[in-house]
Amino acid sequence: MDNIYYPRGTVVTDIKEDTPTIKTFHFELDEPLTYKAGQFMQLTVPGIGEAPFTPSSCPGEVREMEITVLQTGRVTDALHNEIKVGDRLGLRGPFGKGYPMERFAGKEILIVGGGVGLAPLRSLIYALFDRIDDFKKISICYGAKTPHDLCFRDEFDEWTKKPNTSLNLTIDNPHPDWDGTVGLVTCLLEKERIDVDIKNSYVVSCGPEVMLKFVTLKLMDVGFKANQIYLSMNRRMSCGIGKCARCNIGPYYLCKDGPDMCYEDIKDYPNVFE
Amino acid sequence: MDIYFLPKDELTELIEILRETGKVFWTRERDLPSNLENIRTIRIEELDEEYIMDYRVPGLRAYDIFKSFLLPLNFKVAEYPDKKWIDVELNAKKTVLLGLKSCDLVAFSMLDAVFLEDPEFMDPFYKKNRESIVIVSSDCSRIGDSCFCNLLGNTPYATSGFDLNISEVSDGYLLESGSPLGEEILEELSLPGARKKGIEERDKRREKVLKDLEKQNSKFLKAFSDLSKLVSEGYYRDEGWEPGSTCVSCGACTNVCPVCYCFTLFDRFDKKGEKSKRFMVWDSCQYKGFSQMAGGMNPRFPMMERFKNRYYHKFFRFYERYGKYKCTGCGRCIDNCLGDIDMREVLASVKIGKVVK
Repeated sequence: MDNIYYPRGTVVTDIKEDTPTIKTFHFELDEPLTYKAGQFMQLTVPGIGEAPFTPSSCPGEVREMEITVLQTGRVTDALHNEIKVGDRLGLRGPFGKGYPMERFAGKEILIVGGGVGLAPLRSLIYALFDRIDDFKKISICYGAKTPHDLCFRDEFDEWTKKPNTSLNLTIDNPHPDWDGTVGLVTCLLEKERIDVDIKNSYVVSCGPEVMLKFVTLKLMDVGFKANQIYLSMNRRMSCGIGKCARCNIGPYYLCKDGPDMCYEDIKDYPNVFE
Repeated sequence: MDIYFLPKDELTELIEILRETGKVFWTRERDLPSNLENIRTIRIEELDEEYIMDYRVPGLRAYDIFKSFLLPLNFKVAEYPDKKWIDVELNAKKTVLLGLKSCDLVAFSMLDAVFLEDPEFMDPFYKKNRESIVIVSSDCSRIGDSCFCNLLGNTPYATSGFDLNISEVSDGYLLESGSPLGEEILEELSLPGARKKGIEERDKRREKVLKDLEKQNSKFLKAFSDLSKLVSEGYYRDEGWEPGSTCVSCGACTNVCPVCYCFTLFDRFDKKGEKSKRFMVWDSCQYKGFSQMAGGMNPRFPMMERFKNRYYHKFFRFYERYGKYKCTGCGRCIDNCLGDIDMREVLASVKIGKVVK
């Protein structure tokens, strides 16, 4: 009988420091696995516990995987402070539904990320790049606190070289190392700035919940419908399989039905945003 | 299945056969000081030879829950690193549970839906435990103040879900089997078939207890029949939750609930620091930290949000997923509430309708 709680082995092959608080861990898996963009993994630090992460690497059938981690709690503290290249960790998953890529096909895709929220979106971005002819346009809006908090900066040039792809960046406050846009990520979504065929597009957003809230309000304000907006609702999870009953919004378990939810489906339920 | 008659003084013989079948845990009514309510004196315990001769199956559900036999308070679900998946070996040894009531069986069927019948993620530990238990249930012969199974469409007697069911009648017991194993046990006892008179008496007794329940809960009938509206119309509105305002988030209600199954996975090293162990531990949606995330965000921080969530889960979310309300009406949450909150009163007070934003 399969044990749904047992983590599969994986070894850390590289650790890259993206920002002072964010690291990307590169794993080699003991057994290959297949995951879709938007699905997540439960990453085990031995003796410490598990935390859910959506991989930041390209989905598909993989033997390797990247997970980008902001240092913020017990498991992520251990990841940042104790885990070295060569250490063995555990993985369960993939869990969740993943993005409705078929629904996205033929449309413009607007990606709105905040801080480490770009990590799971990077996985989606790669998935979109993989079949870029299926999408009319890919617009990426990304904001972080300071220029040094932007993840994956060394990849931005490569991204913008892709056909029909744009990348707009902003940081929260003026900074000596920054001559670009200053303001919260919502400022990139203002009517006069947003260069998207609203009727023919889907939005995918990931970031802190307070950001998701204001991004959603702004999107609705500029004319998007709730059924065009997909939000990455990453709540506390434990089992990952719709049993332990803590990650719910309305009738949905985010671990099983999400974690990316269409705003239309969840908007009428309590506790959608903190 | 056929119904058989067991004379009063032969109950011990049934118990002896059950002891041969496996380790027996029974519910037993104890003699305790009279200032304790009647339900509190009925406890689940390992069979004690001392009491076999005088044993009577209590007429009411136990104070404790049988959930622990399927989902223990905490148990090891993994030890890693290990090259292969941990093997879950089937328990050859049976555990016989004696004295479950209809509400306890309804609870098992709900836990089955979550842990056993989920085609995607079947829980091997639950399956192992579930397959090792033998269920000997019995009719309720009286009701507790907090009993309200009738409001959820349940009855104070079981009609399925048992291996064997015991109904007390004036001169003995009627035994009904509900499984091949139950049938085997009855064959071993070689009992006479129940007489028509006996079955009529059983039905009359059952009817009487159900009537008592209906009388006790009549004023809540509307609140519970309105639950179907909750499902069809969406969510509770933010009105009428005052009866829950005395909640202190102690988690007693979820811990004594036979169907609450929220858990968390907890990891720690063994003493040598070589292997890690993962435990499945009961959790409670009423605890402040239940949904709190790293970084401090908590989507259900105010007590009332957690309080409501428990009702949403029981009467909305679970229904949406599994087609039944996640409540057996056993009333244990009422008996054990520090805030003196009665679920029936809460449901009678809240207003139904979609959340208006």
